[in-house]
Amino acid sequence: MRAYVEFAVKKFQDKMAYRLDFFMGIVNTAITIVVYLCIYKALYGEAAQVDGITYRMVATNFVITLGLSNAFDYDEMLIEHKIHDGSITGEFLKPVSFMLRLLAENIGEGVFKIIFNFIPALLFTMLYTKLCPPKSVLSLIVMFCSVVFGYLILWLISFIIQTWSFWLLSVWGIITIKNVFVNILAGTLLPLWFMPAALRKIISFTPFEAIYFTPVRIYLGELDGVEILSGIAVQIMWIAVLGVIANIFWKKGVKKLVVQGG
Amino acid sequence: MENIIMVENVKKYYRLAKRDKGISASFQYLFNRKYEIKQAVDDVSFSIKRGEIVGFIGPNGAGKSTTIKILSGILHPDAGNVKIKGYIPYKQRKQYVKNIGVVFGQKSQLNWDLPLIESFELIKFIYRIPQEKYEENLRLFSELLEMEDFINQPVRQLSLGQRMRGDVVAALLHSPEIVFLDEPTIGLDVVAKEKIREFIRYINAKEKTTIIFTTHDMQDIEKVCDRLIIIDKGKKIYDGSIEQIKNKYANSKTIEILLENNEKEIRTFDLNIAPMNAVMENLFAQKNIKDISICEPEIDGIIRDIYGGRIVLDNMAAEEN
Repeated sequence: MRAYVEFAVKKFQDKMAYRLDFFMGIVNTAITIVVYLCIYKALYGEAAQVDGITYRMVATNFVITLGLSNAFDYDEMLIEHKIHDGSITGEFLKPVSFMLRLLAENIGEGVFKIIFNFIPALLFTMLYTKLCPPKSVLSLIVMFCSVVFGYLILWLISFIIQTWSFWLLSVWGIITIKNVFVNILAGTLLPLWFMPAALRKIISFTPFEAIYFTPVRIYLGELDGVEILSGIAVQIMWIAVLGVIANIFWKKGVKKLVVQGG
Repeated sequence: MENIIMVENVKKYYRLAKRDKGISASFQYLFNRKYEIKQAVDDVSFSIKRGEIVGFIGPNGAGKSTTIKILSGILHPDAGNVKIKGYIPYKQRKQYVKNIGVVFGQKSQLNWDLPLIESFELIKFIYRIPQEKYEENLRLFSELLEMEDFINQPVRQLSLGQRMRGDVVAALLHSPEIVFLDEPTIGLDVVAKEKIREFIRYINAKEKTTIIFTTHDMQDIEKVCDRLIIIDKGKKIYDGSIEQIKNKYANSKTIEILLENNEKEIRTFDLNIAPMNAVMENLFAQKNIKDISICEPEIDGIIRDIYGGRIVLDNMAAEEN
């Protein structure tokens, strides 16, 4: 366990090494927030609400979603690169689980991005526009749990696709397609409130809804007690399902490499 | 002493997709691939005792790295058995790798962006090295390899020699019983090479670490190893001491003659054609010689001849020893 904490800490330190990257990250996040909020503002115009959803709710949805996707912004081509240059074999020489190690490192990187990119950008945004406060302290705490689960779902989807590089020469295309799906179906571009009812029904059967939308709704207090529990249960269910799939692909991939020599 | 590494009749084949030149062939390659079987390791057996340092040599593509990968558990052999310290490396990988240290000279295991010392710290946690042991090892190793100057620099700023020293230390910090070094001296200057050699010798003498060492530099082998295994085209063609191979296959001797008038002359003789006796008689009869010295055969030359096929090794004879 200690080793994995260290992996996360070292990755965090790693990121600190690139100062320009770090400052540009803040600027980049702030610009993204301002641009999107301007677009939403323009779309709302004079209207106080659309379908019962206020501008402030949309802005809050966007900021939370951006924070989470910011934390998720790591090198999704890592396994492919490691297979290409052969350094993947080095990972088998250490008495640690590669999957957990990668997760630890990605979390380390994510925490860095949240602290040094997202929070400064968020403070800047709050000068510019008002966001919805959390419904209660409790809903804020529950939202944090839900955000972690959302992150894990996103991470597992990415990991599964990354493991396909054991069989495919390049997974860049598939990762790009996956990101488009996440952007649309998880509500990064357009909040899920505005999706057509039929499409929303379909999305509710996929893991995408559980990524960003569940934490946002918990934060805003749109869900009551039982709904919160069932929302989190669905998240945990997806983590379990995707975790099993990820493990199968990883084991099969490693076996292929070890038996056939890549 | 007991055998710590046992390798029996190990074989490894690679299936290579065959691809012809030209565009039409490229299209064909998309749908209908032809494969070629390459025998990377073909029926290799050997055993190594605890505390031995074994040099593993062979021309490029002979199967050295494949063998090292099988021994370190990252490749599955297609046939044969490997047993190291009671483990089957490729089946019990997680427990097994705690006992070994591996350096792939061509691929660094260090963290590119962090100072060397941070990578070492990480290794402490990965292998759960007790703090005292870690500090003791680190102090000793950095003294022996003179790393104090650059241990706080990020790895990307290190020279190749410094990085390689870092890699060797990283593989040995947890005091593994068995160490595989795959070309740890590749691309290094004479001084850096010498440092790594001394270090390997020291660790072997102090900790009784079993070491397998691949290299293309015969100096490495002569200075470090007790025993030599040569493989070529996937087959073991020699297994024995370095002295033995020198004595057995040194057919040519080089003689340096200093004449009365202080002129130097260097001559090489093939003893199979002209025995030393005849050579000397001839020389003394022809010249006024002030001094004479017979140079020992260079191991480099012998190896060159073996790779080139000019010396055919009698494997059975070698194995008896």
